[in-house]
Amino acid sequence: MVAENMAAETAAPFLDVEGLTIRFGGLTAVGGLDMAVAKGSIHALIGPNGAGKSTTFNCISRFYTPSEGRITYDGRDITRMPAREMAGLGIARSFQNLELFGELTVFENVLIGAHVHAGRSWRDAISARPRGIVEHVDELLERTGLTSYAQTKARNLDFGHQKMVEIARALAIRPKLLLLDEPAAGLRNREIAALDRLLCELRERDGLTILLVEHVMQLVMSISDRITVLSFGTKIAEGTAAEVRANPAVIEAYLGREAAHEAAHA
Amino acid sequence: MPARRALSGTALIGLVAAVIVAVALPVFTSGYVVYIANLLLVFVVLCLGLHIVIGETGQFSMAHAAFYGIGIYASALANRAVDLPYPVAMLFGALVAGAVGLFIGALALRMRDIYLALATFAFGEAMQWVFANWDSVTNGPNGLRISPARFGPIEILSDKQAYPFVLFFCLVMIGLTVAISRSRLGRSFRAVRESEVAAMAMGIDVRRARIVSFGLSAAIAGFAGGMFGLFQTFIHPDSLGFQTTILVLTMVVVGGLGSIAGAIGGAIVFGLISEVLRQAPQYQEIIYGAILILFMMYAPRGLFAFIGDRIREARHGR
Repeated sequence: MVAENMAAETAAPFLDVEGLTIRFGGLTAVGGLDMAVAKGSIHALIGPNGAGKSTTFNCISRFYTPSEGRITYDGRDITRMPAREMAGLGIARSFQNLELFGELTVFENVLIGAHVHAGRSWRDAISARPRGIVEHVDELLERTGLTSYAQTKARNLDFGHQKMVEIARALAIRPKLLLLDEPAAGLRNREIAALDRLLCELRERDGLTILLVEHVMQLVMSISDRITVLSFGTKIAEGTAAEVRANPAVIEAYLGREAAHEAAHA
Repeated sequence: MPARRALSGTALIGLVAAVIVAVALPVFTSGYVVYIANLLLVFVVLCLGLHIVIGETGQFSMAHAAFYGIGIYASALANRAVDLPYPVAMLFGALVAGAVGLFIGALALRMRDIYLALATFAFGEAMQWVFANWDSVTNGPNGLRISPARFGPIEILSDKQAYPFVLFFCLVMIGLTVAISRSRLGRSFRAVRESEVAAMAMGIDVRRARIVSFGLSAAIAGFAGGMFGLFQTFIHPDSLGFQTTILVLTMVVVGGLGSIAGAIGGAIVFGLISEVLRQAPQYQEIIYGAILILFMMYAPRGLFAFIGDRIREARHGR
């Protein structure tokens, strides 16, 4: 039965982006992108600066609306749904430049992440510590290594911990699809290793589907089941880490034509 | 329970002392002192209302005196029109003010920061004009007589008589504000204040939160208007202008923007200061201004954060 389920799921991608085109005035930021993210996988979207990764990311999380194309999530067309409905559907996101609730404690930041679950009953809605949800928040703080900072104002944390609050808060949504915008940017090696472990655990233990935009290749190559490479708004390669790394088009996009030539003759 | 930090010892002693003073006040003081106490309690509730919209949700509402005025007129007129217990008239005042607040909140959705401040300021000015010129309803520039409040057989004719009711309603409003602040709704207000995009990503309806916070803020101000009618016999449009809004704003900021204790303490401390200044009216405005400037320079997070910091420094021996 498990096998059957898996077959059904691989047949239809969990997140399906078809012909996604985003124009800003006369500029085409992304042109006709197709990308399929399989359920329970970690899928990375990479590319040089200005490739359109974040634009694509913001379209999927519904902060931008595409000019053309279709985004299907779990069999549902979300192309034109409002951003605030994403959390209710189980889509959570983090923000590249941090959008924490700075003056609030880490605990309250993560508790607000559980907003869509905190209003099930009247009692929950008026409670400062809704039952079932507080326990989940504590567990998330534990998993992200933030327990001892629970009562610290988010803005007083160092950058690495702030990034973790972003992820913990997104996880409080109890998402099925987690969208991470450069989660490793600015982190130290030790912190990247912890992030690597956390994301793998979320995939293995929680069955989460993760789409991340990332520049830190160390992380991308280590955890991604599949990688989509964008350059100037179009997809130039897609595949496993090994396939992408060996692809001359990718090397050219990142390092320039000569380097690609050298690599091919090495 | 990490999120619910217990009251510290000194805060508890202070609270108990405040309650004793508040309850015993009419016994050992003159009618004038009780009148001032009534007025301060009304300002506490006005500050709670402004705290909801500015302190919690971060939306600049500069029309607080207008909502207060709507509450005063609506409850006074309701009290005159029908012979029901006065709390019904107070609730009517809160509802009318709240409804207008929701409407203004909806209009204000497109604006933020200084634009929002100016638009709400304009609304406040317009309302004052309505109070002064809608003769058939408000009795215009002659002011409106407020008939005595009635609780069943009890008719309130003096400040001392009104005081327990004013105190009671003030405590109810404090309780209500604390409950709102701690609830899911209060969390969504603060989320909107801190980051609208993140709030949206958490599934919070930012537009709804902004409108509701305007409505609640206005309803609380309207309720304060009803409390005013408990001990006042007369209302004149002159006292419902921008100065009153600025006075309430100053109280909230001096107490500490974003904290309920700050809103309450600011109302009492700054209210007392302005009462003392009444003895020297020629210097009143200057001293007012000086206090505000000093606060903005040395205690921008408010009186209580300032005192707290000094105590902490003293404990750690600097």
